[in-house]
Amino acid sequence: MAILRLVSPVRSPEPVARVLPGVLVQFLDRASVAVACTRDRDLVPRIHYVSGWQLDADQKSIWCFIPKEFTPGLQESLDDNRQFALTVEHIGPHETYQFKGTGVSLRPATDHDAAVVARCRGRFASALIALQAKLAGKSAVLERYILDPAVAFRFAVREIYLQTPGPGAGTLLAKLEEPA
Amino acid sequence: MSARLPDEIRPVMENGVPVVIATCSKDGIPNVSIVSEVFYVDPATIALSFQFFSKTIKNVRENPRASIILNDIPAGRRWVLRVEYDHSETEGPIFDAMDLQIEAIASATGMSGIFKLRSADLYRVLGVETIARS
Repeated sequence: MAILRLVSPVRSPEPVARVLPGVLVQFLDRASVAVACTRDRDLVPRIHYVSGWQLDADQKSIWCFIPKEFTPGLQESLDDNRQFALTVEHIGPHETYQFKGTGVSLRPATDHDAAVVARCRGRFASALIALQAKLAGKSAVLERYILDPAVAFRFAVREIYLQTPGPGAGTLLAKLEEPA
Repeated sequence: MSARLPDEIRPVMENGVPVVIATCSKDGIPNVSIVSEVFYVDPATIALSFQFFSKTIKNVRENPRASIILNDIPAGRRWVLRVEYDHSETEGPIFDAMDLQIEAIASATGMSGIFKLRSADLYRVLGVETIARS
């Protein structure tokens, strides 16, 4: 397990990167579960389960593929404040990062998005089975828990935080340059 | 405004599957975390453990509204709780029960000794809904 520690908690200022650090790009490709959050104008938070995720070609924004059951609030967020947070975990080693940023766009999900979700869904089931032997043979049940995507929400990453359980959780690891 | 937790939610709260909690700072920055467990206190109250200073802990002390999702994977169902942070307890039966449970979870996941309970944070339940595959 390679947990990213770009900076110590006491070092400042945090490095400003142009794109997502390579270790995090690799992490996104092996992570097994993700959840996101927006908030309304009254500062009430709302959770959006994320069935799949993919780094954009620009290497600094992330696509979140979200099932229709968790779409309420997404458009309102884009219209009102655009604040977005995404937490991604590699189940098993508990390696977890939170990506915070600004909502950019929302569109219906495509077949390509569904293919990405299928890969994430497979990693989710495999990770749980590896963690609990009693789940062996229940791959279909686990995969069904990851709902089909209805929309794709893209957000520009602004900050990345370590969230692996432990005293280092919450440490700011890196900032990304604001869009020009 | 308050709500009551249905009896059928209790096994889900005790199934050992991690829970999602979302909060928001007073400056409007949302935060979403995965935590090991949420504790049933009574039909109108749940508790979360405060082990490390975290953004969740900071946020609910400046903006008490939070959202929680419990996972019932075999049933293909998620429970969404709208809650509001009420107060913290650093001793007493709720604190002691949570302390014991946290160590049991930590031990089972190979993280024994890492977690120390600072307080039991109690939340009032404002709303409950379920989301299942449609």
